[in-house]
Amino acid sequence: MSETPPRSQPDEALIDLLVKRVTEGLSSAEQRELDVLDSAAASAYLRDLEKAAAALTVAASSGAEPLPAGLAQRLARCADEHVSALATANVVGLDAARSTRQDATAESREAAPPHVHSRSGTYGWLAAAACFLLAVYAWMRSPPQTQAPNEVIVPSLPATAAVQPPPAAPTPSEERAAMLAQSNTVKVTLNGTKDPAGKGVTGDAVWDPVTQKGFLHFVGLASNDPSSSQYQIWIFDAARDSRYPVDGGVFDVPATADDVVIPINAALAVSKVAAFAVTVEKPGGVVVSARQHVVVLGAAS
Amino acid sequence: MSSSTLQRIAAGDSAALRDCIDQYGALVWSIARRLSRTPADAEDATQEIFLDIWRSAARFDASQGSDKVFIAMIARRRLIDRLRKTSAEPPMDPLEYVDAVSWTEASASSETAMEAEQATRALAELRPEQRQVLELGLLHGMSQSEIAAKLQMPLGTVKSFMRRGLIKVREYMNIEAEGVSSSV
Repeated sequence: MSETPPRSQPDEALIDLLVKRVTEGLSSAEQRELDVLDSAAASAYLRDLEKAAAALTVAASSGAEPLPAGLAQRLARCADEHVSALATANVVGLDAARSTRQDATAESREAAPPHVHSRSGTYGWLAAAACFLLAVYAWMRSPPQTQAPNEVIVPSLPATAAVQPPPAAPTPSEERAAMLAQSNTVKVTLNGTKDPAGKGVTGDAVWDPVTQKGFLHFVGLASNDPSSSQYQIWIFDAARDSRYPVDGGVFDVPATADDVVIPINAALAVSKVAAFAVTVEKPGGVVVSARQHVVVLGAAS
Repeated sequence: MSSSTLQRIAAGDSAALRDCIDQYGALVWSIARRLSRTPADAEDATQEIFLDIWRSAARFDASQGSDKVFIAMIARRRLIDRLRKTSAEPPMDPLEYVDAVSWTEASASSETAMEAEQATRALAELRPEQRQVLELGLLHGMSQSEIAAKLQMPLGTVKSFMRRGLIKVREYMNIEAEGVSSSV
């Protein structure tokens, strides 16, 4: 058999960590060590090892017994719920954004962070959340925000969404105020991160777990140019894998607005809100954020 | 060229979700059974894995590998994460399937993905004890420490066998893949 083609290869200690990651997973300490040693070569190597392990697993699964009937029915229901959740998202106007995202997904396939980076990304979220706790402390010591919100900024999903609501309909600010007064809603304090767009941002989120509706309220969030980037909301569900937060829709902040209220359009049902985050993404948003620009974070208590 | 089920899911074909369950249910279930602590865990894990598959379908690239191997990668990641979260005990009946589960002979099944055949051919070049270490680790979810205890083998040797075995399979797959691509 010929020799392995020349390719940048991690050292033995790093390979041992990668092999353990693939075969049995890593402890927190080992994962931190891997994060420190992380490199593009290691990420590529990890994917190769994962692929090798998966191929061996497939080879051993030939002639596997079929799914139990009960589980097959459960999965079928799950598939139907998944489809209807996506359909609901389309009804509320996310279809245009989603088709853009599917196009974007093909583009980003190669750019999608390898698993090592994905794990690092997870720690990035956690690190940002830790920063958030410090920011919460500072936020609690600062005087309460007394300025009333200015006019509401309507999310920029479909063009028709920019149409002003009928006079009799409550504005998002009014809906938010009513929601804040309810005892069964989840209230979360939001703070900007160290990202340039998030510096000095304060705000809050309110979420009604029954109606699956909610609002984000920001003060000081920088305006964006919708032709080059948009803000995207992410909802972390305690019942879901934290690597895959639920898409909450995209929105814009005009240059004239300092105080904005944004309706949340969750693409999937949220069982238990754990946190909210806002990232800066390409126009139309993305399916999975690269988390390069996390601008706002807030964790539910 | 017709689209794969994963490509249909990525394109928004809602019927493809159920097709995905029909096509890959047995594969996912067999992996989940081996790498879960209880049958109930395996059922929950299978549901989570399918959600992961549907969400990740857009990232599937047919030029990078088969759908089966892509799905097995997703399944393994999810199951290992679940095992780490409740790592007090080994998966259910870790040795129950030692005799029943083994790697198929290359080309023995027309349904086996090409990468799986490549991996099996690479396995044939390993020493029996290396194969055994890989089998216990990959197919039965045993940790390196558990394998060392089971086989009464130094932990360093288990690590070495595991590392060399996976590297061998990885090299074999890369070389064969390059051979295929250069011959097309």
